[in-house]
Amino acid sequence: MPLLSFNEGAGFIPCLFSLLEKRGTICMKLSHSIIRLLIAGCLSVAAIADDTPRATIAKAVLMTEDAEEQARLVSSLAATGSEETGKLLSLWRQGGIFIHDLPDETQVAITLEGNADEEGRQRALRVDDGKPLLDASGQPVLLVAADLVTADTDSNLRRAMNSVLDLLALSTPDVAARKNAVTKLGMSQKLERLEDLKTRQAKETNADVKLALEEAIALVQLKSKDALVQAAAARKLGDMKSMMSKDFLLALDKEARAAQPANTEISAAVTEALAKIETHTKWVNFYGTLFRGVSLGSVLLVVAIGLAITFGLMGVINMAHGELIAVGAYATYMVHNLFGAGLSLSPFGWSVWIPGLNAGGALYDAYFIVALPVAFLSAALVGIALERGIIQFLYRRPLESLLATWGVSLVLQQLFKLIFGSNNVQVYSPQWLSGSWTVMDVSFGWNRLFVIGFAVAIIIATWLLLTKTSLGLLIRAVMQNRQMAACMGVRTERVNMLTFGFGSGLAGLAGAFLSQIGNVGPSLGQNYIVEAFMTVVVGGVGSLAGTVISAMGIGVIDQALQQILLNPVLGKILVLGAIILFLQWRPAGMFVTQSRSLDN
Amino acid sequence: MKLLKSVGLALLAASIALGSVPGARAAEDTVKVGVLHSLSGTMAISETSLRDVLLFTFDEINKSGGVMGKKIEPVVVDGASDWPLFAEKAKQLLEQDKVAAIFGCWTSVSRKSVLPVVEQANGLLFYPVQYEGEEMSKNIIYTAEAVNQQATPAVDYCLAQGKKKFYLLGSDYVYPQTTNLVLLEYLLSKGVPIENIGGGLKKDEAGNVISAGKYTPFGHTDYQQIVSEIKQFAAGGNAVIINTLNGDTNVPFFKEYAAAGLNAEDCPVVSFSISEDEFRGLPAKDLVGQLGCWTYFQSIASPANKKFVTNFKKWLQTTKETGIVKENRVTCSPMVLSYNGVYLWKKAVEQAKSFEVEKVVAALEKGISFDGPGGTVTSQKNHHVTKNVYIGETKADGQFKILKSYKGVAGEPFLKGTFKAKVAAK
Repeated sequence: MPLLSFNEGAGFIPCLFSLLEKRGTICMKLSHSIIRLLIAGCLSVAAIADDTPRATIAKAVLMTEDAEEQARLVSSLAATGSEETGKLLSLWRQGGIFIHDLPDETQVAITLEGNADEEGRQRALRVDDGKPLLDASGQPVLLVAADLVTADTDSNLRRAMNSVLDLLALSTPDVAARKNAVTKLGMSQKLERLEDLKTRQAKETNADVKLALEEAIALVQLKSKDALVQAAAARKLGDMKSMMSKDFLLALDKEARAAQPANTEISAAVTEALAKIETHTKWVNFYGTLFRGVSLGSVLLVVAIGLAITFGLMGVINMAHGELIAVGAYATYMVHNLFGAGLSLSPFGWSVWIPGLNAGGALYDAYFIVALPVAFLSAALVGIALERGIIQFLYRRPLESLLATWGVSLVLQQLFKLIFGSNNVQVYSPQWLSGSWTVMDVSFGWNRLFVIGFAVAIIIATWLLLTKTSLGLLIRAVMQNRQMAACMGVRTERVNMLTFGFGSGLAGLAGAFLSQIGNVGPSLGQNYIVEAFMTVVVGGVGSLAGTVISAMGIGVIDQALQQILLNPVLGKILVLGAIILFLQWRPAGMFVTQSRSLDN
Repeated sequence: MKLLKSVGLALLAASIALGSVPGARAAEDTVKVGVLHSLSGTMAISETSLRDVLLFTFDEINKSGGVMGKKIEPVVVDGASDWPLFAEKAKQLLEQDKVAAIFGCWTSVSRKSVLPVVEQANGLLFYPVQYEGEEMSKNIIYTAEAVNQQATPAVDYCLAQGKKKFYLLGSDYVYPQTTNLVLLEYLLSKGVPIENIGGGLKKDEAGNVISAGKYTPFGHTDYQQIVSEIKQFAAGGNAVIINTLNGDTNVPFFKEYAAAGLNAEDCPVVSFSISEDEFRGLPAKDLVGQLGCWTYFQSIASPANKKFVTNFKKWLQTTKETGIVKENRVTCSPMVLSYNGVYLWKKAVEQAKSFEVEKVVAALEKGISFDGPGGTVTSQKNHHVTKNVYIGETKADGQFKILKSYKGVAGEPFLKGTFKAKVAAK
């Protein structure tokens, strides 16, 4: 059982190579030298047989009309391949192999190498023999990557590539890639791979990979001809609490029962193993649910904290809170596009094009860090404008402020549509927010861990602001008794404005985060406004601690009900029902705040 | 007084004559057809594309001489994503505008609300969007994909790829629910054991399965639990997710799917409701390698399709119609099925030499063929259409790489129970 593993979302090998690709020159130099080495090697072989690994790859690349034959050719490389085969296959996978039309109307598979000249041209190498492609006059052909037809791949072909790469990867120096290869070989349950795995096990030094090897070997042994080996392998998998072996064990059990005579030895071993795995799964689900509950609670908290200030502390029923969240999300989208390919807007029918930085790699991934303050400030500014423009006249009339802010929310939604279009816009997560971290089979998504940390940070910052700064003191004074504070010389108007701006800014931060896990569109706010109010009301209007506890409570109960009922709709209904009952019992929420201004 | 009266009468008569003469002449030269799609509300994003392609088709036909020498005069009405309004608008089109045919509807519920209206007024509706079947009206021509022209070929493809476990996930409404019930029967008939079909089963008191798969409401945002369930389901490999989630709920699902470390090579997702047009609002890069199944892809390399795509894009730039988005447009299956519908109607009218619904339907039932952008389509006796089915894989630019095609698949609306019966017969 994998005790500790880093899961990067996609297979590791492409990741490794895409990393290499980013360091373009290194990769090129690497492949250059390898290819040079191979030119010498291939020259002698190519003359005798045309199915060197290189020739086979070239042949497969050109078979664009026959996906099955492509896959077959690639699979055949498992026997003949070398490390260089792996490089070429990976290159093909990421679109580094091109199909070039020769003047005589035949096609040739090529790769590009060397540094590009001023026009972006690189030297073309033939895939079949690794030699430079020469034109009629014997000069090397120079080509621009963007003008070439990339050799496509499909899942089937990539799977064939993967199995070849797996075998090659068993000896790769990279630990994670090796472990991934081991697991995949185990799942294929091919007895003919057993020796490869055992050979590797004898040499393996890394503890993680050793565990994976043990698991893989046991999985393959389930297919053994010897019933004793099978039973032992089943017990082994049970002891390892291997979750992925469940299906294989069930299949074995079926086989054992169907056999004549039924093999009770195997059945007993399998039943025992499955019981152990089942217990383990229960624990995994328990901790998983707890984590998912806390993460959902954190999302709720992030969404509701702004409202806890504007509604909870100030008593303004702000129906446009959801749209302030959307402002934050759209601000993130704008920053995202400015770091990327550029931003095209069409406010009120005018087309505006703002060129982007076209950043790549770490700089592009940093866009989210920049987006956070931008989202906070833009939502805060919209909030302040809203407070100055409308809400300041309605402090004593909550019903009118409800209607007015609802109107504002509709206006803002239409504005989003006019500026950004009625389709959703796309925000891609940075690399460091995608992927997950697995401990004892419970996977913790980076974005989910991030939101928990983000929620904690926001709560601490808000608490510090309210209790440790002079602005916080003024805010609390004004919220407790506006007239008295005004009598003491506090500029209540200004404090109102700043408090509302702060609450709105927090909504903007929520929007920035939500862009990472869901849709960014004109109706984004509508999806969260009810949940935000629900969280604040259950927690007790005016109490930050109440908001925190109610968000976590709702999150964990929601996830637990989903896990138990296995039905997202029913779970949600039960949570809402429970909240209604709870509010019947405690209409003021969990924490009742005694305040003169709220009594008014 | 008499004089005044007679002058008045004369004026009245003249005005009637003046008014009616051009009208009468117009009626001779043109034939009215209805376009009934949501141009506002939640479905507008999808349905306006169909309105656009229909207007394009009418222009194309009018330029080449019209239908039986008559120009098509479209009457465009807005269903406004409001299902009862669809029925009212259909009534208006049939009784007031007296249209020869209606092209429209997207959601099944809008079709179901229009159905009694067209049946009562004996109108003719061409319906272009993949649907769940279990329906066959004498007044509706379903150019849409039936379940056996999309869902079952996709499952066949997955089985051929060695997939053994199927997880059913969808939005909670009639199309996913019905399709998944049919798929459940189909998978069982193909020898997939019931424990290998994920998402959960709901049974009634008699023990009959009434719902198969996992369903989430529209606008659902939290897919953590479902994805973790899928991850355990797929842990042993060879699993595939059959996805009938609708619209933008796909985004939180696919983001969670990627974050959990699932990927298209180990556990692909086959989506039935994501076409090229939907990718305008979805992060295509996050969906690379996932599968789709339709009866048309923009990437089909036939000359007919290339011509269609170029002509449509050219028309978008030159059209004087208002409210048409001109940038980043693509073509997709529902659009091409609308296009095919108009041409099938035109051919049927020309064969019947009449605009009368009975005669046109009779001609269609005999079998009318049209070489469309997705290959040849032929109308069937059961009001469905034979066409090619394609399996494609999503690319980063929101287009599909075609992996497999099934030629000339006949549409079959009534599938529930048929697979079970076949197994019993064996």
